[in-house]
Amino acid sequence: MQKLVLLFFSLSAVISIYSQGFQVNFQGQKQQGMGLAGTALSEDASALFYNPGGVAFVKKNEINAGFSPIFANTLFVDSASGEGYRTKSPMGTPFSAYALFGFKKMESLKVGLAVYTPFGSTIQYEDEWIGRFALTKLSLKSIYFQPTVSYKINEHFGFGAGFIIATGAVDLQKDIPVQFADGTYGHAELTGKALGFGYNLGLNAKINEHFSLGLTYRSKVSMEVKEGDAKFTVPESLSANFPNGPFTSSLPLPSVLTLGGSYNSGKKWQFVLDINYVGWKAYDTLAFDYESNTASLIDTKSARKYKDIIAFRGGANFQASGMIAVRLGGGFGFSPVQSGYVTPESPDGNRIYGTAGLGFKFNEHFNADLSFYYTYIKRTDRNQETNLQGTFTTIAISPGIGLSYKW
Amino acid sequence: MKQVLSILIPVLIGMGSLALNSCKPKYEKPETSAGELNATRFVMIGGSHTSGYMDDALYYEGQQYSIANLLSGQLQKVGSGAFYQAYMPDNSVGVNGQGMSRLKLGYKTDCLGVTSLSPVRLASGGDVAALGANVYNASQPFGNFGIPGMTVTAVSIPSYGIANPFYGRMSSSMSASVLGDATASDPTCFALFLGIEDMLPYVQGGAKNGTMTNTANFSMAYEQIVQSLTVNGAKGVVSLIPDITEMPYFTTIPYNGLNLTPDKAASLNAIYNPIGISFQEGPNGFMIQDPLAGAFGVRHMVAGELVLLSTPLDSVKCHSMGSVFPFRDEFVLTLDELAIIRAQIAEYNAAITAIATTYNLALAKPNELVNKLQAGIVYNGVTLSAKFVSGGAYSLDGLHFNPRGNAIISNEFIRALNSKYGAKIPAINAVNYPSVIFP
Repeated sequence: MQKLVLLFFSLSAVISIYSQGFQVNFQGQKQQGMGLAGTALSEDASALFYNPGGVAFVKKNEINAGFSPIFANTLFVDSASGEGYRTKSPMGTPFSAYALFGFKKMESLKVGLAVYTPFGSTIQYEDEWIGRFALTKLSLKSIYFQPTVSYKINEHFGFGAGFIIATGAVDLQKDIPVQFADGTYGHAELTGKALGFGYNLGLNAKINEHFSLGLTYRSKVSMEVKEGDAKFTVPESLSANFPNGPFTSSLPLPSVLTLGGSYNSGKKWQFVLDINYVGWKAYDTLAFDYESNTASLIDTKSARKYKDIIAFRGGANFQASGMIAVRLGGGFGFSPVQSGYVTPESPDGNRIYGTAGLGFKFNEHFNADLSFYYTYIKRTDRNQETNLQGTFTTIAISPGIGLSYKW
Repeated sequence: MKQVLSILIPVLIGMGSLALNSCKPKYEKPETSAGELNATRFVMIGGSHTSGYMDDALYYEGQQYSIANLLSGQLQKVGSGAFYQAYMPDNSVGVNGQGMSRLKLGYKTDCLGVTSLSPVRLASGGDVAALGANVYNASQPFGNFGIPGMTVTAVSIPSYGIANPFYGRMSSSMSASVLGDATASDPTCFALFLGIEDMLPYVQGGAKNGTMTNTANFSMAYEQIVQSLTVNGAKGVVSLIPDITEMPYFTTIPYNGLNLTPDKAASLNAIYNPIGISFQEGPNGFMIQDPLAGAFGVRHMVAGELVLLSTPLDSVKCHSMGSVFPFRDEFVLTLDELAIIRAQIAEYNAAITAIATTYNLALAKPNELVNKLQAGIVYNGVTLSAKFVSGGAYSLDGLHFNPRGNAIISNEFIRALNSKYGAKIPAINAVNYPSVIFP
């Protein structure tokens, strides 16, 4: 157990996460191969994330860790000038790590710990891009720590609950339209650490040997930045107008309600389908409250006005041999960002994605899974706050690898 | 196990290389086209606003960002050829009609000992020598005929270079006219931004001396210019005139900027109460001379009236100008004067609109943008307004745009050309252009 703690600690220290105005469902490589669906499944420790209610049905103790580097590229084409600008975002690094244990004396009870990265993004635009006074870089990181208890009520029903401790960090940068003598522009960097709390509830129903259903609710987590650090680089004559100092802010990470189903043919085939209802409406305003205000530095309240959305995810698992499984999947998610509110920080649109995966069972203890994810998003809009008008096109790919050890 | 590895290893290698060559969205350059326009040879005629004059002088960097040069840059994307301007020397401090250098933002200490950011001259004198040096080059005919001080009626006057050295330094000969030089290279497309100079000296001087060109002369001269330019079938854009009284030069100092302590108000009341004028604590309208105002010819300014940036502020702060000593006529525009000025702008604009219709030309409306700048616009995340210095669209003279301001004004011309001629000339990304440099 001491080893486990060390493992989690080192992962969370080096790893950040990624998404774009959207939740990252990269939680378990098997599900990732099957279109990121699997709320009705209860086969491995990734159920700690997907459905705490299914955890009670997992047969063995397990340690499971996965990593899915995301490579995302966004192109913005300004509608007036026709000029194109690209992002140079660093690789995103969502990960998940699960540990699950049972008790010999109480077989219907399981406990586990999940550490994962359900939300966040790092997007960085090329230097001197047209929207640099709106945003040059945004890095949002969040890591959820979720201790979980799951109880098998009978052979058909399992119920589980996890408590979420969410830690996060934000780094927002943009240029300020005041010019130095050499023609370069002022710059603002807002950094801060955030903390929030929530829960993850799940019900798993085994209807019969073929059909399962899952219902889960992950609560909203309000990430509060209580002591941010605002740093301004401006010409000397304006330094009094832009005092460095603390700020406060908050960012809601939305609730997710999921209904999932699975069908198992017996030997070869397995199908899964999830429907998410994501409570993005919670993200109404992005506000920054600076401790010292001046005529140039006033508290800001930017309307985001996200709306609740639905996403569909589905996939299949084909057991090609005793050792090898092949997976395919895909999904569609509506964008929570309404017309007039698309921002460079989250150039989001309705998205279609496809996934594929392979599973390898080396022996009864050791499994490895590979996955691949591809998505394409295109959105044309004029932002009401900045009047930035044009088309954002994003392509993101993510190859993933996961290892698990069961006993 | 072997079977597993034989699949696993190639798959891992494949995914790794795919990730490294991570796919990027493809940039497809939007279509551009000149439409019915033949952009081959472009000329622009106008006044100081066209020339690249800014920060109260004509100087090299300003000329690089002239409206004419910015427009040409975009037209070159739809087939326009090389464009030449009569550049000042690139190390020049610039020069204006009074022989002074350009302004820069620096520190100034006022009569109260308070030091603050303020426009200051870059040098004690302007580059007068550059005004006297003719830079005409027959093999590189100029395309920018923006001449500071040139009225509509001056465009076709022979030997105009003798009267106006800004033209003299670029004219093809002593006897040449601007229109003659501009048409000599057979332009296929043109832009006119004329008319501001027909009123600017009068308005800038507080409507005290001189006159504005009368509408009939304006209209006749304007039409003659358009006729000469279009005689060979050239197409182009003419522009309405913005209300220059909406510019920072006129809007920075509030009419009621006379902020009084109770003591000050009492001492002014002691002076003025006998002639029926009173003051109160807080903001008061400045005192101005107005021959029509009662027996003593002085009164408070009223809402809507404008104090000019030429007002000596030290005299206001320390020597009771605008209170004990009323502002002279040259520092203010009264409601009556403003009514006359605005009526004249409307008449000019009616004449230009009529000519645009008659000659089937595009009509640019930068006046609408200038009007919107009073409240401010948000452009790609940058707020641009008519606020002096910090507004980001006007140069330090408060009357001419800075490079970014010129870029958004140029976009108004592009918009007009695109809609009239079915062209697809890309707009300028104005955030790429300098605004105000802070020390």
